[in-house]
Amino acid sequence: MINSILRFSLIFILLILLQVLLFNNIQFSGYVNPYVYIMFILLLPMEIPSWLLLILSFATGLTIDLFSGSPGMHSSATVLAGFIRPYVLRIISPRDGYEPNSDPSMVTYGFTWFLTYTFLIVLVHHTALFYLEVFRFADFFRTMLRVILSTLFSVTFILLIELYRRGK
Amino acid sequence: MRSLLNFLARYNNLIIFLVLEGIAIYLLATGNNYHNGRFVNGVRGLTRGIEERINNTRTYLSLREINEALATENVALRNNMAKLVKKGNSAFTSVTDSIYKQQYTHTSAEVINNSTNRQKNFFTLNKGSRQGIKLDMAVTSGNDVAGVIVGCSENYSVAMSLLNLDFKLSARIKSNGYFGSLSWDGRSYRYAVLSDIPQHVTVNVGDTIETTGYSAIFPEGVVIGTVSDYDKVGGDFYKIIVSMKTDFRRLHFVDIIGNMKKTEEIELEKQFQ
Repeated sequence: MINSILRFSLIFILLILLQVLLFNNIQFSGYVNPYVYIMFILLLPMEIPSWLLLILSFATGLTIDLFSGSPGMHSSATVLAGFIRPYVLRIISPRDGYEPNSDPSMVTYGFTWFLTYTFLIVLVHHTALFYLEVFRFADFFRTMLRVILSTLFSVTFILLIELYRRGK
Repeated sequence: MRSLLNFLARYNNLIIFLVLEGIAIYLLATGNNYHNGRFVNGVRGLTRGIEERINNTRTYLSLREINEALATENVALRNNMAKLVKKGNSAFTSVTDSIYKQQYTHTSAEVINNSTNRQKNFFTLNKGSRQGIKLDMAVTSGNDVAGVIVGCSENYSVAMSLLNLDFKLSARIKSNGYFGSLSWDGRSYRYAVLSDIPQHVTVNVGDTIETTGYSAIFPEGVVIGTVSDYDKVGGDFYKIIVSMKTDFRRLHFVDIIGNMKKTEEIELEKQFQ
């Protein structure tokens, strides 16, 4: 228990630092803004109580908000991602269900499963985030393009980090 | 009572979700407005140390370009000075008179946090109210428009970048003086859009676009950029794409311009509204 709290705190700090120090500074173009910190929500254990998941999501979003000077934007999108995670897990559950006490990781459930899982949650998160950012429906399709491109990049980076984690 | 408790137990996730989402939306609705300053003063202080450190690294990496820019500016200033010395020989000598003559104050500041990839971009400067920075002062880079101060704490201030969907600026075509409204359309960090120029006006690619000074924020004649493309939209107006002179990705040192006569102008204008 203590061990896993320590492990997830470390993952949390690493992901936040990665986001704030590296990805927030990439500014590749207005269309591609990868947000990899959402990976923290993806990695939390299967059996985590929903209320804790929601509160951790809020805390993650708020931390990113503090660093990027955008109060509420990331919090709101991340809480939404935390809220839909149990539903996404239910929809894409493997035929013989999930193993007890397992982490939703690539090692346990394979590449395709992890890709679907990541893609769905990142897509919901980014959709909420980018529409909240512009806060208007003018340029609807341009914002959608930003959502899709950024989702592709975020998913790619998350998969790379996950592959690296597996390699260790 | 029991059914209420049952209800709460059954939907507790949804309730927590709605409460947290409510807090987030509340922050989004109230905190995003940099005018209230609370967020700028309070919570962002926590992250500022890190921001400054990141910026130090970034500045170090681009020292060469900064030096070049400074050298060019020095030459320009020296040239101006040479002209002024010549003028000084005339019958009327200029006296530094802060009450009647000087309208604009200039303060130099360093950008310590900046973004160009969002739809509503802001940048943070390392000078604040203690150094005489106030709300609604103009921010320029060299002699080109960069933004407007929207939040001040004691030692820091936050400026709304021209790259912000909420930014509106009165601008004109230098060659013929027709003015319109300049804003950013959220597409590229290099281009802005000038609208409200009537179609009977001749516009040429390469024309300089500058500020009008009507807003009492920017002085007159601050360069924004040049016309890169134009298009007729609707029946009456042009949509002019302006290639901005300021490179927002390389914003390091900026000038903050305060208008000392702004209050006077606004007070007078108020009487006729």
